Amino acid sequence: MDIVVCYKVVPDEQDIVIQVDQRLSFTKAEWKIGQYDQSAIEAGVQIAENVGGKVLALSIGNKTLDSSKLRKSALSRGPGKLYLVVDENLEGADSFQTAQVLAKAVAKIGKFDLVICGEGSSDLYAQQVGIQLGELLGVATINAVSKIVPDGDKIIVERTLEEEVEVLEVTLPAVISVTSDINLPRIPSLKEILAAGKKNVTTWSLADIEGQNCTRRTEVSSTLAPEQTDRKRIILEGDLDAVVTQLYGHLRRELQ
Amino acid sequence: MGKINNVWVFAEATEALAELCARGRQLGELVTALVIGPQSKAEQIIRQGADRVFWLGEPDSSVIVEAYTETILGLLEKEQPSLLLMNNNKRAKLIAGRLAAKLETTVLTDVMEFVNAGDKLQVKHMVYGGAAIRIEQAITKVCIATVGAGTFEPLLEDGSRQGTIISVEVIFDSKNIKLLERRSKGTTSVNIAAAKRIVGVGRGIVAQEDIKLAEELAALLGAEIGCTRPLAEGVNWLPKERYIGVSGVMSKPDVYFALGISGQIQHMVGINQAKTIIAVNKDKNSLIFNQADYGVIGDLYKIVPALIGKLKAGL
Repeated sequence: MDIVVCYKVVPDEQDIVIQVDQRLSFTKAEWKIGQYDQSAIEAGVQIAENVGGKVLALSIGNKTLDSSKLRKSALSRGPGKLYLVVDENLEGADSFQTAQVLAKAVAKIGKFDLVICGEGSSDLYAQQVGIQLGELLGVATINAVSKIVPDGDKIIVERTLEEEVEVLEVTLPAVISVTSDINLPRIPSLKEILAAGKKNVTTWSLADIEGQNCTRRTEVSSTLAPEQTDRKRIILEGDLDAVVTQLYGHLRRELQ
Repeated sequence: MGKINNVWVFAEATEALAELCARGRQLGELVTALVIGPQSKAEQIIRQGADRVFWLGEPDSSVIVEAYTETILGLLEKEQPSLLLMNNNKRAKLIAGRLAAKLETTVLTDVMEFVNAGDKLQVKHMVYGGAAIRIEQAITKVCIATVGAGTFEPLLEDGSRQGTIISVEVIFDSKNIKLLERRSKGTTSVNIAAAKRIVGVGRGIVAQEDIKLAEELAALLGAEIGCTRPLAEGVNWLPKERYIGVSGVMSKPDVYFALGISGQIQHMVGINQAKTIIAVNKDKNSLIFNQADYGVIGDLYKIVPALIGKLKAGL
């Protein structure tokens, strides 16, 4: 099976600094593969391990994406090759722009049976890219996939919705978005990280995939940290009995 | 805010659809609802605020609801409303995404609030795991947005309201997806979003059986059990329905009792609306103490049993 796994590079949430003017600063942020996308990569690699096939990884973004460390981070998880579309116009891409560019890149890569995306990106989490990509490629597309069983030119998938689980037969080619609990992504070994450095990486610009017309459909007015609710911030510590007695008193008042 | 012209609303469940109608009335001059169900449902939706219903007929249990997407697309392309409002659930997000790809737009997902911006329709929603709130707008003719269910009051039924019901011929998508089976998740339904008191547990709970301690406290307080993401999606000690935070449930209880929760932003955005936050954590540098009304620095395995003892004695 020819599988393409997509991922987004996002800032580590723990490194995001909230400035005094409530804007966010990413200058200290380490960039990493989105945590939901790690499950997408793992799902693709597992299918290839079980039924055979090739796994290619694909990502789009600005030049942050194209670091040796991030390339290895993707390739050490199992894909045989990596394709990147790197262009400054892709900084802050919205979901439609991202899906368009991915669709052009997938078309240029050529034949595919299955494209796997994560449920959403760790930064914007709109949960839209995989769905839109499938529709743009004109193939079956489904989200919330929590189990995949390959079956010839089809896959049988379980789809975990809010209140029910569906079992669906999806005829390939298809684009699916997988849940974060579909698997536990492997932690690459040192050997896998070293081997990843030798794998093939193809880097395209937007022009290379004829994607200059792929533009965003949203305008951002502001992105600011929310106002914190004022809290009493009463701290209780020390002797267990005294602390619990005080806590009990406060709790009783709050429950009334 | 200046109203936009045509707002369309679509949800499967009657209650959710009625809620979207009420929201639609606030945003737009004319509300059109897309209804799947018996004709009586179409009539009810008119009484609850729709000016017009596109009636897609009785549901067909052999297909997934997403198979209505192309029929809905045909209507949208023909009429070009300013806004299509849907809910945040997985099915709605799939339908919204497929429609958006065809209409060449970006779906504004998980909208918290629509913002007054003259003739433009701006939305607020969380980004970066709740670290920020973004205000943005779609620059396309048709805008698609998803909002949470249970966040808006439906209008009371008004028998004097008049509206048109237009029957639509449905052609199901042949998208190579066949429904083989549908089963209930079998989890007890729990509504954390509506809970008045919640005992939340995080990684400070060492073993799965220790959740019993939190459950005992919750039972005495008349509270529901909630949790952070690792407990629902890492070690899977609790069902996902109890996970509070940015990709889980948003809660607004009167009292939130946090046990062994460090206070990561991804969780805190889900409890920010709590009236009172009580936190027990052994690490005095935990972020949660900055956002708690009462912060207890200490071992929850000592404090909770002692508190349970006092609560029982006080009964």
